[in-house]
Amino acid sequence: MKVSRLYLAFVFFVLYMPIFYLIYYSFNSGGTMHHFESFTLDWYKEVFADTRLLVIVLHTMIIALLSSSLATIIGVFGAIAIYYAKHRWKQTLLTLNNILIVSPDVIIGASFLILFTIAGIQLGFTSVLLSHIAFSIPIVVLMVLPKLQEMSPTLIDAARDLGANEWNVLTKVVLPYITPGIFAGFFMALTYSLDDFAVTFFVTGNGFSTLSVEIYSRARQGISLSVNALSTLLFLFTLFLVVVYYVMTQRTSVKGGQK
Amino acid sequence: MRRYAYAIPYWLWIGLFVIAPIILIVYYSFFDIEGHFSLVNYETFFTPVYLRMTFNSFWYAFLITAISLLIAYPTAYLLTKTKHKQLWLLLIILPTWVNLLLKAYAFLGLFGTYGAVNALFEALGIGTKQLLFTDFSFVFVSVYIFIPFMILPIFNALEKLNPSLIDAARDLGANEWTTFRRVIFPLTLDGVKAGCQAVFIPSLSLFMLTRLIAGNRVITLGTAVEQHFLVTQNWGMGATIAVFLMIAMASIMALTGNKKWGVRQ
Amino acid sequence: MDDRVIIRFDHVTKQYDDDLPVLDDVSFEIERGKFYTLLGPSGCGKTTILRLVAGFIEPTKGDIYFHGKRINNVPANKRQVNTVFQDYALFPHLNVFENVAFGLRIKKMPKADIERKVKEALRFVNLEGYEQRAIHEMSGGQRQRVAIARAIVNEPDVLLLDEPLSALDLKLRTEMQYELRELQRRLGITFIFVTHDQEEALAMSDEIFVLNKGKIQQRGTPKDIYDEPVNRFVADFIGESNIITGTMIDDFVVEFANQQFTCVDHGFAKNEQVDIVIRPEDLELTTVERGKLRVRVDSVLFRGVHYELCCYDTHGNEWLVHSTKKADIGEEIGLHFEPEAIHVMKQSGGE
Ligand SMILES: Nc1ncnc2c1ncn2[C@@H]1O[C@H](COP(=O)(O)OP(=O)(O)OP(=O)(O)O)[C@@H](O)[C@H]1O
Ligand SMILES: [Mg+2]
Repeated sequence: MKVSRLYLAFVFFVLYMPIFYLIYYSFNSGGTMHHFESFTLDWYKEVFADTRLLVIVLHTMIIALLSSSLATIIGVFGAIAIYYAKHRWKQTLLTLNNILIVSPDVIIGASFLILFTIAGIQLGFTSVLLSHIAFSIPIVVLMVLPKLQEMSPTLIDAARDLGANEWNVLTKVVLPYITPGIFAGFFMALTYSLDDFAVTFFVTGNGFSTLSVEIYSRARQGISLSVNALSTLLFLFTLFLVVVYYVMTQRTSVKGGQK
Repeated sequence: MRRYAYAIPYWLWIGLFVIAPIILIVYYSFFDIEGHFSLVNYETFFTPVYLRMTFNSFWYAFLITAISLLIAYPTAYLLTKTKHKQLWLLLIILPTWVNLLLKAYAFLGLFGTYGAVNALFEALGIGTKQLLFTDFSFVFVSVYIFIPFMILPIFNALEKLNPSLIDAARDLGANEWTTFRRVIFPLTLDGVKAGCQAVFIPSLSLFMLTRLIAGNRVITLGTAVEQHFLVTQNWGMGATIAVFLMIAMASIMALTGNKKWGVRQ
Repeated sequence: MDDRVIIRFDHVTKQYDDDLPVLDDVSFEIERGKFYTLLGPSGCGKTTILRLVAGFIEPTKGDIYFHGKRINNVPANKRQVNTVFQDYALFPHLNVFENVAFGLRIKKMPKADIERKVKEALRFVNLEGYEQRAIHEMSGGQRQRVAIARAIVNEPDVLLLDEPLSALDLKLRTEMQYELRELQRRLGITFIFVTHDQEEALAMSDEIFVLNKGKIQQRGTPKDIYDEPVNRFVADFIGESNIITGTMIDDFVVEFANQQFTCVDHGFAKNEQVDIVIRPEDLELTTVERGKLRVRVDSVLFRGVHYELCCYDTHGNEWLVHSTKKADIGEEIGLHFEPEAIHVMKQSGGE
């Protein structure tokens, strides 16, 4: 028992060490990540004074919210279509759906780059948005589909039996039932979008950048503690999202009356 | 619901962003750098330079997967035994929501010549070591980044395991190790496979880490694709490597028998 | 046409893909205000008949009439029929009140009316005061009653019930049998009830349809079916019975166990091979001399109200006897029975 606790503690220590290391040195006036001189908030001030960086943060947020909302809508209807598809099509559709999930990011990025070039779409906001929608859709489908499958088919029969037409069935039974899955899908899409680096790196042009790409180019130039300050802020934001998500799922599951 | 009009955007997505890109990659692999149709890319791929790179990619991906599995399985197992396991699991997932780049960046500091790890080494009397820009740091950071994706499916598989099966095995006289080997592990194999897939495939094509952490010492297929598309502008060659990556990916999927997405879970 | 008939199946066949038909050329009529039971073993097509009536599936061949109108292609939401599902199919995201109100809300009924009707329906099934409960907070029996309330609140002409009692324990089940029968009387609407429990069917129905392998084997009142099973399958499925083969020597004379007996059946061909049924409770224990059959007791079980004796005659036929008298194992005894106790059935074939 003792050994197992130590082991778990060690795993968690290694898992969180780098993150707290970053945060710790974001308050270092020394300007390096190894010698802590004294406490300062200068790096945070620098972040908030850096308009270029703030614009990039804004862009990242817009892309994430837009792409995950659109992907959620498209994905939910896709999942419903797969759910209703004839048995022998189901497997094919699922395979097609999952290709982008299992594909390495470089391939997605490279192939989208070709696609946008051929289609004559300017690399920038549009291409990044389209790419993020594209790689988020299958995630939404995968979060929603199990909820649909877990729903007893007699529920739909029951609704029809009670006079519901197809629209009623969708809005009064299916969508409410799968709401937790839709939330989960939306949040997964949001985090995928916020986290993505490789695909964006391929399809972003010169004028447009997201946070990941920006951090990459700054990190390649070496250590700058404003990046640390930025990561602290991002970490807090992530925590905030997790809490929001947690509260939301708790609420819907209490309302939905399931465990 | 039998009318499919509402799913038109989804069908469009499948056509434009799933099928078309694959066709385009294959198509582009048949053009040389001047835009002439040729098989020269495939010839190049079978030269020692690229074969070596392929071998390296697979070797590192294998190492990363194996080490992840070795660490992840006990972790997942012990997690299922904790109180508040959902909370602990959330804590495992949380770091995956921290931007990948930031985690890599953190290791620039940790592994630096004067970083925390070397400070520890000094204190232990081992002495300062070159950590950054080595194979070791590349594998370590990769494992660090991918390990939650290995823990998660194994944890889920362990959770699904019916506890009375373990009781039954013990009841039939199996000791703890035999129970693990003959009952628990085989029944969680699907989770292990899912985890291996989730780690092996992306680690085949890492390129950002190879640049930041390995300082271009490790060149994987992913790095080469990026290089050809964004630096040398030789899209044909990049596409060819991508084709082989896709083939590798498809074979791994087939090999690990992707039952996970079956009609019934 | 008889205007008491509410549903008519006219040579209905249902087939999935190229498999054997699940329902094979079935014809029957359902009358207003009666309690019908579909009885048969698992997989015989009971649920299929209900789904055809409800409109979830369409017949492959044949026609279904409702009030004399052909309804083969009328979708489920347009039919005056409601279903209580085998798994209740209550909406987990809605509370008890909203579940019951579902059909009324679809019809866009005014709020006040909905309130009144739902309350009334819940009172009907003894669930007053449970309106705000979540479904997962209700017990099995309560859920079933919510499902019934949800169906009857729409005032259907026909209520379909698919094994609604199968998930309940014995005590609750008996209780619900009474309640259901009582409910049907009060509402005066037609119930089509599915079960594979013969005792349940006998206790509740005005009329029973015995099904096997997609065909109706026999239809009739519980008494008809119990007393006059038309073939081996029905006799075997409805209650415990002794079934042996015999020969019809002449009208009113039948031979089995190498003996001839007087019976009340006639109209068979001379020397026709037949199946004979004698219910265990129609066999009486007596002395060897006074008995019509001479058997040896093989085992005795105490069943509470009666003893169940398993005996063998000299030809190796097994005889099950229900008796209030006890006999010892190995003892030779006589069995007596009246000519009316012998039911002669044609071999094979239904009605
Ligand atoms: N969608 C379907 N596709 C193919 N076969 C089906 C389908 N639905 C039912 N069947 C078959 O039809 C037959 C009759 O099924 P049905 O559900 O009517 O049985 P049942 O009498 O209600 O049995 P139970 O008492 O087990 O509920 C079964 O053999 C079943 O396998
Ligand atoms: Mg059934």
